[in-house]
Amino acid sequence: MSILLDKNSRIAIQGITGREAAMVAQHSLDYGTKILAGVTPGKEGQEVHGIPVYNTLKKAVQVHNINTTVVYVPPAFVYDAVLEAVAAGISLVIIATENVPQLDAMKFLTRAKQAGVRVIGPNSVGMITPKDRVKVGAIGGDKVERCFVPGRIGVISRSGGMTAESSWMVKRAGFGVSTSVSIGGDALIGTSIKDLLLLYQADHETDAVVTFSEPGTHFEEEAAELLKSGGFTKPLFSFIAGRFTERMPEGTVFGHAGAMISGGAGKPSQKMEKLRQAGAHVLEHFDDLTRLMKEILTPERI
Amino acid sequence: MGKLLENYSKKIISDAGVLVPRNSVARTPKEAVEKAHEIGYPVVLKALVPVGKRGKAGAIKFASNPEETVERTQELLAMTVSHFPVDKVLVEEKIAIAKEWYLSIAIDKTAQAPVIIASLDGGVDVETLSREHPEKVLTRHIDPILGMADFEAKEIWSELGLNGKLLTLATQTLVRLVRVFLEKDATILEINPLVVTEGGEVMAAASVMSIDDSAMYRHPELASMVQLGSERTWRPQTELEKQMVEVNEADPYRGTARYTEMDGGDIGFLCGGGGGSLLSFDALVAFGGKPANYSEVGGNPPERKVYGITKGILSKPGVRGLFVAHNITNNTQVDVMAKGVVQALQDLGKDPHTFPVVVREAGVNDEAAKEIFTAAGVEYFGDEASITEAAKRMVERIKGLPAIEGGN
Repeated sequence: MSILLDKNSRIAIQGITGREAAMVAQHSLDYGTKILAGVTPGKEGQEVHGIPVYNTLKKAVQVHNINTTVVYVPPAFVYDAVLEAVAAGISLVIIATENVPQLDAMKFLTRAKQAGVRVIGPNSVGMITPKDRVKVGAIGGDKVERCFVPGRIGVISRSGGMTAESSWMVKRAGFGVSTSVSIGGDALIGTSIKDLLLLYQADHETDAVVTFSEPGTHFEEEAAELLKSGGFTKPLFSFIAGRFTERMPEGTVFGHAGAMISGGAGKPSQKMEKLRQAGAHVLEHFDDLTRLMKEILTPERI
Repeated sequence: MGKLLENYSKKIISDAGVLVPRNSVARTPKEAVEKAHEIGYPVVLKALVPVGKRGKAGAIKFASNPEETVERTQELLAMTVSHFPVDKVLVEEKIAIAKEWYLSIAIDKTAQAPVIIASLDGGVDVETLSREHPEKVLTRHIDPILGMADFEAKEIWSELGLNGKLLTLATQTLVRLVRVFLEKDATILEINPLVVTEGGEVMAAASVMSIDDSAMYRHPELASMVQLGSERTWRPQTELEKQMVEVNEADPYRGTARYTEMDGGDIGFLCGGGGGSLLSFDALVAFGGKPANYSEVGGNPPERKVYGITKGILSKPGVRGLFVAHNITNNTQVDVMAKGVVQALQDLGKDPHTFPVVVREAGVNDEAAKEIFTAAGVEYFGDEASITEAAKRMVERIKGLPAIEGGN
């Protein structure tokens, strides 16, 4: 098992003819992931690296029974792309696009929630289940195995790049990943850390989870509450970057749009304290991860 | 989050049909007197800076004749409020106030919906009020798809205790403010206080408004009012920061490069990925390093952008070395990073043998990157080292430099 993404995923790329999306399609195919269709209005009949392009997602679903899409359209068109996915009956939508207007995000997240559609992102670099060689989005680039090898550790990252780096640290420690998820660097995203912890808890092939976090939002505080209430009982290793921002004037953004501290909420030190109190293994230095994993994830413990 | 100055936010809400005091901007005491004469005494004089809590900072003053106007305006123009030097003053009609209320519309990130916060106890610090008297503060979410119906606005004021003509006027004001908030892609619209005048009208006496940067493409009418990138700094942007915004905007759809100047510091900082950059900065600081700036690139920037931002970083006085690091990249071509960085070093005459440059760049095309960096004499690490290990090395190299003569 894994979470959300496996060999039964039937994937299409919305906006496949764009430069970035076409490169991602090529890398995905090289890795062994089947990308069944692409959607770009006005380009039906064309192919991108052998993948058929359709005008509408509806048609792609009819022909290929698509259940998962990754959105690569420009910011102004993301709102419509997500509505199209919801209308077409897609169950998992990963939004790669960055700089989506906040009002649009609130609207499509509300709509997706009403329809029971799971959204990852916006501003997600994608997700990957190495056991089935299935990846969506740029995650892993052209050398996927450098960072992502099959294993039993779940990885959740608010930073796209650090999804790879964290999975690489897991590999460095001698482990591999079940599913790694870049949840998106924005504050308004479809799936939070807590949401994913619940899925990893239920997954028999995930023994522990690593999270990479940043300042801002309440995602880590919610995760801590979940641990406290007994909703997640596997080992959790958490790192929160950006402690230096606490010494900067309030309200300044460093890094992702979601990484803003305001009114004292969202400070890394507070997040670390809450997670620690809830029983998570909170890393002082990111490099401590390898040592701690080796210490804690001994065969008798998992 | 582009902050708007008060004269702009008042113009926007006034255009939407919300009453505001008559106001005008003045840059000199003489101009302030002219504006005050047009508006009529007494007047309020406010420092026109993009920060809140100006009252507490003493940046709001009153004048009832030309002499006072000159004096108060001079005082204001000599002030710096929360790092912002005051160079303009808002001259405003002084309203005879009967009551002060509080109203704000913001985005509740947890609920993923706009939220209205309203109270009939206005003119105060709303955080304090909601902590000490939560019963006096009403919070209500807006459906982001449907917006707000008139009856919902009416319910808010009615529940707070309004009735009669004031209920009608307050409802109308709230509906118009919510409409403007949604239409303009605002992230915050705070009216504190929302007042009832002695004449019985509901008026926005002070306003704070910010616009979502990501939505600026659909608001050309706001372009001249919003300073892009203003959320990345806590003071007016420096010349170098403004230049770096231009470097980024020159290729708006290909990668991002951002630059924030730190006070002092000697390590030029060029890192990649939002999270990777935070981690890199923390690591340098943990080993005793002093970054001179915070710069972050991402999304596979073109060489021109990397070159431009690197030149900017290196041109800050006091920079004695350069740290370049990235998480292992998914899509950013690190050979392109290498070309941009090396070109900037060469053009500015920085020799990596005397000007330490430590790089940790692994990911797409890193073999080519290694060649380019190594050929230029740069200390290069790929995925055989972690970001933290490279940061440690950077700090060692900087500390190994000879002391600056007569330096600080």
